[in-house]
Amino acid sequence: MTVKTETANDSPITATITRRGFVKIGGALFVSLYIPGTFAAKAAESPTSLDPTLLASWLEIRSDNTIVMRTGRTETGTGMSAYYAQAIAEELDVRPETISLILGDTDRTPDGGFSAGFLTGMSNVRKVAAYTHQALMGLAATQLGVPVSGLSVTDGIVSGGGKNISYGKLVEGQHLDLKIPVEGTQATPDPSGWVGMTSLDGFTVTGDPPMKPVREFKVMGTSYPVPSITDKVTGKTQWSSDVTLPGMLHARMLRPATLGSTLVSIGEVDKKQFPTAEVVQKGNLVAVASPNEWEAISAARAVAAGTKWTDWAGLPGSENLTKALREYNWGAPAESKGKANEVKAALASAGKTISATYEQPYVRHAPIGPFVAVADVRSDGSATVWTHSAQSQGLRARIAFLLGVPVEKVVVRWLEHAGQYGRTTLGGDGAEGDAVILSRLTGKPVRVQWTMQEDMAWSTVSPGWVSDVKAAFDANGHLTALHSAFYSPHMFDPRPLGALLAGMPCATSKPGNWIATEWHYEKIQRLEEVYGMPNLAAESASGGLRGNIMRTPGQRQQNFALEGLINEAAAAAKADPVQFRIDHTTDQRLIDILNATAKAAGWETRPSPHRGARKTGSATVTGRGVCIMVRSNAYWVGIAEVAVTPATGTVQVTKFTIGAECGKVINPRQLDRCMKSGVAMGLSEALKEEVTFDKEKVTSTNWSRYKILTMEETPEIKVVQISRDDKGFGGGSEAANAIVPPAVAAAIFDATGVQPRRIPLTPAYVTTLLKG
Amino acid sequence: MASELTLSVNGAKRQVSVAPETPLLFVLRNELKLTGPHLGCGMAQCGACAVLLDGEEVRTCITPVSFAVGKQVTTIEGLPAVWAEKKGLRAADAAKTLHPIQQAWIDEQVPQCGYCQSGMMIAAAQLLAKNPNPTVAQIKDAFTNTPPSPHLCRCGTYAAIIDAVQRAAKAMRA
Repeated sequence: MTVKTETANDSPITATITRRGFVKIGGALFVSLYIPGTFAAKAAESPTSLDPTLLASWLEIRSDNTIVMRTGRTETGTGMSAYYAQAIAEELDVRPETISLILGDTDRTPDGGFSAGFLTGMSNVRKVAAYTHQALMGLAATQLGVPVSGLSVTDGIVSGGGKNISYGKLVEGQHLDLKIPVEGTQATPDPSGWVGMTSLDGFTVTGDPPMKPVREFKVMGTSYPVPSITDKVTGKTQWSSDVTLPGMLHARMLRPATLGSTLVSIGEVDKKQFPTAEVVQKGNLVAVASPNEWEAISAARAVAAGTKWTDWAGLPGSENLTKALREYNWGAPAESKGKANEVKAALASAGKTISATYEQPYVRHAPIGPFVAVADVRSDGSATVWTHSAQSQGLRARIAFLLGVPVEKVVVRWLEHAGQYGRTTLGGDGAEGDAVILSRLTGKPVRVQWTMQEDMAWSTVSPGWVSDVKAAFDANGHLTALHSAFYSPHMFDPRPLGALLAGMPCATSKPGNWIATEWHYEKIQRLEEVYGMPNLAAESASGGLRGNIMRTPGQRQQNFALEGLINEAAAAAKADPVQFRIDHTTDQRLIDILNATAKAAGWETRPSPHRGARKTGSATVTGRGVCIMVRSNAYWVGIAEVAVTPATGTVQVTKFTIGAECGKVINPRQLDRCMKSGVAMGLSEALKEEVTFDKEKVTSTNWSRYKILTMEETPEIKVVQISRDDKGFGGGSEAANAIVPPAVAAAIFDATGVQPRRIPLTPAYVTTLLKG
Repeated sequence: MASELTLSVNGAKRQVSVAPETPLLFVLRNELKLTGPHLGCGMAQCGACAVLLDGEEVRTCITPVSFAVGKQVTTIEGLPAVWAEKKGLRAADAAKTLHPIQQAWIDEQVPQCGYCQSGMMIAAAQLLAKNPNPTVAQIKDAFTNTPPSPHLCRCGTYAAIIDAVQRAAKAMRA
């Protein structure tokens, strides 16, 4: 039994209750009945948005004591829907199974915001639940004639003075008039802004309602299952690819022949063969649509064969990427952090310095399911879009701007689909632009299904980069100062491809970059500088290779160079790489997780490379390497063990130990799953992934050309979790991929004595590296 | 041109009027509303569209529907009935049951985005039909080296899948 002793009287929030039977709040029945899609808090001004200051926009308690919670945040596959339910259950003292969630629909959820804002999203629902709990206790005190201090709650039943009443009965047929304090703004179009909209964050619930102390948690900290998994396993889930509407057309897109081609002429539709197929075109946006999906596919192939595009060859070719980046005139840093003068002076006067250049090619999100969207644009200007965007409100703003209609005219409905790993976080990319344009042109609902080849050729990418790092040693072999300069095309271009090709309004793509690393080596003075440039071939009709954020954005790339140099410095100092890190920080949380992970990995304290290191021969050599990261109040350690065959350049990762301390662990099993799967994605990036392109177009357009990790290549993965009650909550998913490549590179150095300074660590690259 | 075809899907006869070269995937999804199998690569490189055809895994994105005529098609929606029949469950019990593979996928909390998992469970069903007690190495081999391609998971749930296959194998042997 959980007892809450906070009194409602201490709160600035006042709860009143009116007994008016079923009370309508702007069209919704708050208590006892839930009608999907009819909920509108401010019907007059904004029929498609909820008022985030109304409790009813967030939370509904039904008479059967079940709860509906609404949040504009979405489930991206990392278990957030379980954590939301756990947080609400904890504050309301109910079982999480009684809570159902509505996620991401712009007309049925209040807060919006981007998927990476999970901690804010959880804070929102947790605070709403806490405010509601407080109000309910006040009501129960009146109803039962017992002071709040004499009440307790178990499973949504309030007890006191020998009596009890359920939450459902407390509010049945009544209107709980509770104001939720919020700050922030709804996303609206802002073409001059950074990514084309006013707000990425949506609304944040403010105030300081009494919340349950961590040490009293009963639901948070348990492995509550993710609610959506059962339906995904039985085939009941309605995915965004499953949406069908009466009269809907299936469309397939005919993309330009190159990234910069423009349309010359469109091939004919053979009406005898494809009686229901039609060509739809605006600018360089060309599609074939039919009520029958297979007819749309077959006709699109036939029409594509007869469609002509202009020639274009404006890309440098992926093999020349580093050269092209080196030739760019970068100008001043887009952002810089640290003490420039001190660091430059230290580097200039140091007796010993170390420097290195690291690089990485373009990589991509590469979901298993290509982009798909359904749009229904009506003649009255209203538009409804069914999608899997991780930023529904932002997408809504973007679509409104594209169509030239007020945001109130647009509704975005969110559904499950293949993981996006960040590419829709800025409310763009995807098939939605195509779908709304085609729906407007045809006057019918249109479903646009991209093909995998199209997705791998035309969706946004995580840009390649080069980074120069220098560091200064003192006489004792400790680093005193470090300077990193990071050069990359920007990663903030979520403009919808459909709008670009059709020449319709979309925000401009603004070059920039930012320092994503969180500095944890306090004993080293640092100067970090990042330089940004436009997309490669940005001036082309399609916007070129459109950069976008991808899991652990910025920090994944920047940390590869930073941690690579730390490993090289440890070797130069003939120091153990774990101890070398401990020697340069005072952060006990980092030291604790480093020690715990090293212990779990059976780490042998010694410098790298290994005494038996060898860079030739057909016998395998083994090694181990370490990497750390601090991100979003979470501390991460990765330790890789590899077997390298120098003669073939083959790298086999034989074991990976991953440690995380992210404050209070909300759900140990889901964290375990996220850590292990993050390692798999990180190994994929470390060993295999590279977007290739020639001078005209992307060439890595299927799974045999854009290779990702297979099950056979997945090593034993050992997980170390530290949960602590005194540091709040931290991000438990993002960094898991990013700690892998530096650890694998360090392990190869340990095995061979040669430091890899780029990924992917393919046999071809490793062979060249070891020969060099 | 559309043809009238009779398919046997998840134990039931289904009539469809489709062009015979239409990939089975689009017939299952659009005509029969069985949305368990998913469109992934469309070229038999990922496994998201896999179903069982007479107990053997096929990639429905490249399999013409005409090829399925006269054969038993099983999607994840039909896995519970397969198990119920094997165990001789009565209709009332069969309606409530899940295939042990599905139960293991829930118990081990395998899916993240879940998009590939329908195909993964189909691959598991084929593997466990042939090898009721696979080692970790045999599971990795089956999911990676069985033609026509590895079953790919971009979320990286491979470790969880291995756990779930072993859990399902134990349940199915009991």
